[in-house]
Amino acid sequence: MTEASARAAGPRPAEARSSLPALGPTLAALLEVDFSVQLRNYRSLLLSLVLPVVVLVAFSANKRAAALADPRVRVSLVMILGMATIAIFGYALNTATDREAGVFQRLRVTPAPTWAIMMSRLVVQVAVILLMAIVVLVVARIFQNVTLDALAYGLTLAVVIAGAAVFLGVGQALVGLVGSVDTLNAVTRLVFIPLFGLGVLGRTDILGSTVQDVGRWSPGGIVVTLLMAAMEPATWGSDAWWSLLACVGYTAVFVFLGIRWFQWGAH
Amino acid sequence: MRWITCNSLDGVWNSLEQVNTAPLEVRDLRVSYGPTRAVDGVSLEVRAGEIFGLLGPNGAGKTTTLSAIEGLLEPDSGSVTIGGIDRRASPRAAKARIGVQLQSTGFQSALTIAQITRLYAALYGVAMSRQGARDVLRSMGLEDEASKRYGQFSGGQQKRLSLLIATIHDPPLVLLDEPTAGLDPQARRQLWNRIEKMRESGRSVLLTTHSMEEAQAVCDRVAIIDHGKIVTVDTPAGLIEKHKDDPRVTSIAHGQVTLDDVFIGLTGEDVRD
Repeated sequence: MTEASARAAGPRPAEARSSLPALGPTLAALLEVDFSVQLRNYRSLLLSLVLPVVVLVAFSANKRAAALADPRVRVSLVMILGMATIAIFGYALNTATDREAGVFQRLRVTPAPTWAIMMSRLVVQVAVILLMAIVVLVVARIFQNVTLDALAYGLTLAVVIAGAAVFLGVGQALVGLVGSVDTLNAVTRLVFIPLFGLGVLGRTDILGSTVQDVGRWSPGGIVVTLLMAAMEPATWGSDAWWSLLACVGYTAVFVFLGIRWFQWGAH
Repeated sequence: MRWITCNSLDGVWNSLEQVNTAPLEVRDLRVSYGPTRAVDGVSLEVRAGEIFGLLGPNGAGKTTTLSAIEGLLEPDSGSVTIGGIDRRASPRAAKARIGVQLQSTGFQSALTIAQITRLYAALYGVAMSRQGARDVLRSMGLEDEASKRYGQFSGGQQKRLSLLIATIHDPPLVLLDEPTAGLDPQARRQLWNRIEKMRESGRSVLLTTHSMEEAQAVCDRVAIIDHGKIVTVDTPAGLIEKHKDDPRVTSIAHGQVTLDDVFIGLTGEDVRD
């Protein structure tokens, strides 16, 4: 065998690659490419940021809307709109598209743990949701005079992470349980409306107290309650604690459904 | 005279075990999709430095067998041992010892070729710098494409990259699922050369194919699989010799019996979907 052909064939096989690849570099490599893909899809990233901002600015321009709710409600509603958009239309559909392209099957034949493959993608989405929340808070400060103290900002961002977990859990459950991209596309549209709408209805009794209660304890409703309490830490009470508990419960159920029955291959 | 410590003896024993262990042993593998049994008692062994071909018509169970070996499917029963490691008992350790090229390549289209190369190197525990990635790409004639996105690659380039990724960690065993499907004759010939070079460098290869030409060109031994069962195993020449007088084969042969005649004779003339 010539030197050139030896190089083309690659080095001789490892006699015994007995040790498994370390977890740290595996996660770092997955995160690097997942962030890179997210940044390259900059149009989708920009839209995720623009939609909540446009709605928030529209709220401040509309005097009747301003009369209906206090600024904390508007900021919270806009944030859950952003979270739902990123988790449902962004994460779930992108994951389904990658699955259809065989990306997950290719990753699964490597020694990388499957939870690391999924976790890396989720971490990137949590970062995008945090970025959206920061942009919304900045815009709220400029257009709605919503000024928080340092503790409130910190608590709000912590709640955003908890809220992101709930919404990404819903996204994970959808992409886990629905096999084809086309079906998922239809299902996400159906799920998005109640997910966001119930969050809104939890703040008003316009459709009666039962609907308000359902809305109040829906995934969107509990995140709104938490965000409002976080923006004014003095109001954090049992309502917020129960919402936090519900938040953990929803996340656990949706993530379990989405990972336990996740379909790695395309249909 | 040097004393041999217990640790050294363990090392010697492990080395001896590796020498004596086949890169791949599949025993009585059964895989079902609901009520349909796709793989029904497949047993095969790929020897060190051997290119082993799995031939079969569409739906015969080739890809399902490979998927069960790769860990993409859980078999109903049977065992898969990769270099002495039980795949079900130690799935990650088994995966670390194999290189895989899937039928559909499946990389993210937004990533560059260099990024894909470095990602998969890291996933297999191979530290690789940006320059290192370029060097590896050069060995496949892809050095000028390092910053190109995967979505911009031609079919032939995608296959070459996929083969590169399959061998990026120098695995003792490489599994290739229809590696030359959809390639033009030049690209196919080039890929055969690369597969043969894998054998020269000491690797074992298990590939699936529809092509008798490919089986004869590169495989040391082939197994014909149909309806989830291995029908026969031998060298390509050995298969022709073994079945040249089989009435199912002679009835369809035009003149001298070929591997194509043996294949069709044993698996039937019906077109499979």
